[in-house]
Amino acid sequence: MTGKFTSRQDETGDQGRIETTDLTKEYGRITAVDDVSISIGCGEYHCLLGPNGSGKSTLLRLLLELTRPTSGSVSVPPVAIGCGFQQPNFYPGLTVRENIDVFASLVGADDWDWNQTVVDELRLNRALDRKAADLSGGYGRKLDLALALIKEPDFLFLDEPLGAMDDVSKTRFLEFLGEYPGTIVVATHQVTAFAPYLDRVTVMHRGSVVFDDLIEEIDLTGYESLQQYYVDAVLAREGVDPETPPPTEAPAEQRADSK
Amino acid sequence: MSILSLLKKEGHWSKRNVLVLVFLLVALPTFFATTSVMFQEVVPREVPVGVVPADERVSEEDLRIVEGGVAVFSDPQVIDSEEKALEALNRERVYGIVTVPANITESGVDAQFGLTVNGAIVPFQQPSEVIVGLMQFQLDDILAADISAERTVIGQENTLPEYLFPSFLMVVVIFFAFTYVPYNLRREKDVMDRLKVETSLESVVAAKLIFYTAVMVAPIFIFHVTASYYGYRIDSFAPGAVAVLLLTFLLLSVLSMTIMVLMRFSATGQFVNVVLMLGMIALSALTFPVGFFSAIRTTIARSLPTHYSMIMTRSVMLKDLQLTGFTDWLGAFLGLIVLALAVLKLAIIYHRRTV
Repeated sequence: MTGKFTSRQDETGDQGRIETTDLTKEYGRITAVDDVSISIGCGEYHCLLGPNGSGKSTLLRLLLELTRPTSGSVSVPPVAIGCGFQQPNFYPGLTVRENIDVFASLVGADDWDWNQTVVDELRLNRALDRKAADLSGGYGRKLDLALALIKEPDFLFLDEPLGAMDDVSKTRFLEFLGEYPGTIVVATHQVTAFAPYLDRVTVMHRGSVVFDDLIEEIDLTGYESLQQYYVDAVLAREGVDPETPPPTEAPAEQRADSK
Repeated sequence: MSILSLLKKEGHWSKRNVLVLVFLLVALPTFFATTSVMFQEVVPREVPVGVVPADERVSEEDLRIVEGGVAVFSDPQVIDSEEKALEALNRERVYGIVTVPANITESGVDAQFGLTVNGAIVPFQQPSEVIVGLMQFQLDDILAADISAERTVIGQENTLPEYLFPSFLMVVVIFFAFTYVPYNLRREKDVMDRLKVETSLESVVAAKLIFYTAVMVAPIFIFHVTASYYGYRIDSFAPGAVAVLLLTFLLLSVLSMTIMVLMRFSATGQFVNVVLMLGMIALSALTFPVGFFSAIRTTIARSLPTHYSMIMTRSVMLKDLQLTGFTDWLGAFLGLIVLALAVLKLAIIYHRRTV
């Protein structure tokens, strides 16, 4: 992998920033994204971190213009965008190879050396002639990521990209992403694996931004990890003392007695 | 670029769904084409006929008297010239033309009525023979002149299987447009987000319309081969008929896709399309001429585009007529396609704004 890419900042140049201003998205009475203003710099490896239902995926969909904001604005530079979806998006009726072929053709990705690199890095070779509908969750995720990467996007948006992926594939893919020269925005609730590569973290909770800081500015003193830091921050926002141990399940005999 | 890529995808998709496509494009057309022979004995009754003066000596009053006389066994409509009456016959507004001779109210004068029918409209062949006899009997009873009646057939007399042939082909076109096209579009839901990012919904539906309209040539050709096998005397692969069938498919596919987009590619959208298909087949008067039904069904049929495309297809295949005789209908049909495409575009915009 060494030498595949030059530095992220050098490669991307100044292509503008992703900006959201007072961004709000409501679904009926539910506010999925609430007055979010963030800025993602060119070449940045940015993590949108938060528990389930915190609005990360909705924010990504707003950035991709897959849903319209209720209020506020989104600004994404007009550059090549690749996206890996929470629910992998591909043609289940086609094989892996046909999916790659169709989308490569659709986005004008005619660099077949690169496409082969993507297939290799995602360890998809063995599944190329399998029907996508028959793929395991892990392979489905890899195909989705391959389709996101084949056009060598300047901006890469990934929603829970490691879901269902095996540890070997995860490690290789994380290294690959770490060297990827474009801007990367990852939405996840498990930041540990990404932590060594990140430039910035935006923690979300119930649609709002809890904090949005450069990694180097986060003081992890007293915390086991960035994951722990984020969990405590979210719990504190909920008014729960992080020191209080979470309620544990009662022993089986105790449950039986209570009946 | 975008369309070509999506066309390529449709090729892959079709390869993976070849059994479904073979069923819809080959087996079903073959079934309908071969079972058409089972309808040889079916003869409907009651028809609209035009009442037209043989020459300028025929008075308005003569026409009114005859109109009242033939109303006993048909639904007469007075038409002021033979030319207009023939046009009405070609366009199936009437299924026979009663030609009224002069001097029908003068006693002792020989007056020969004519009943002109088109040999291609098989369901009216037997009724028209009966009507000639009834005309002679009924009109001789109420008119002073000595009445006789003669039946004239325009064009070749087809068999009922030949007559039903284009009808079944139209059913296949409607069936495919309202079943497979929505089903295929619904399957795009799996990859819709990626398609919206990488291309547009407009390109996706455009590729499907182009691909499947081209594919519809297959069942038309299957029908043509079957017609040749049975020795049917019809122009089953006439360019005009093929064009009308493909335009009909295009219009209906745009309609079914619009429903799917508005219904967010759901199973409900597919169900609505199936219901629409059944209504379209039942109410367009595809098999029996429109005038054979009740007034309300006739009105409904005449408000459906499939009714007019059926008549145009039948006219080119069976009556040896050219599409140039239907330029007004064809123009309206093309206008309807443009309108339907505009509505589809609006549906896509609505979809985009409400997701």
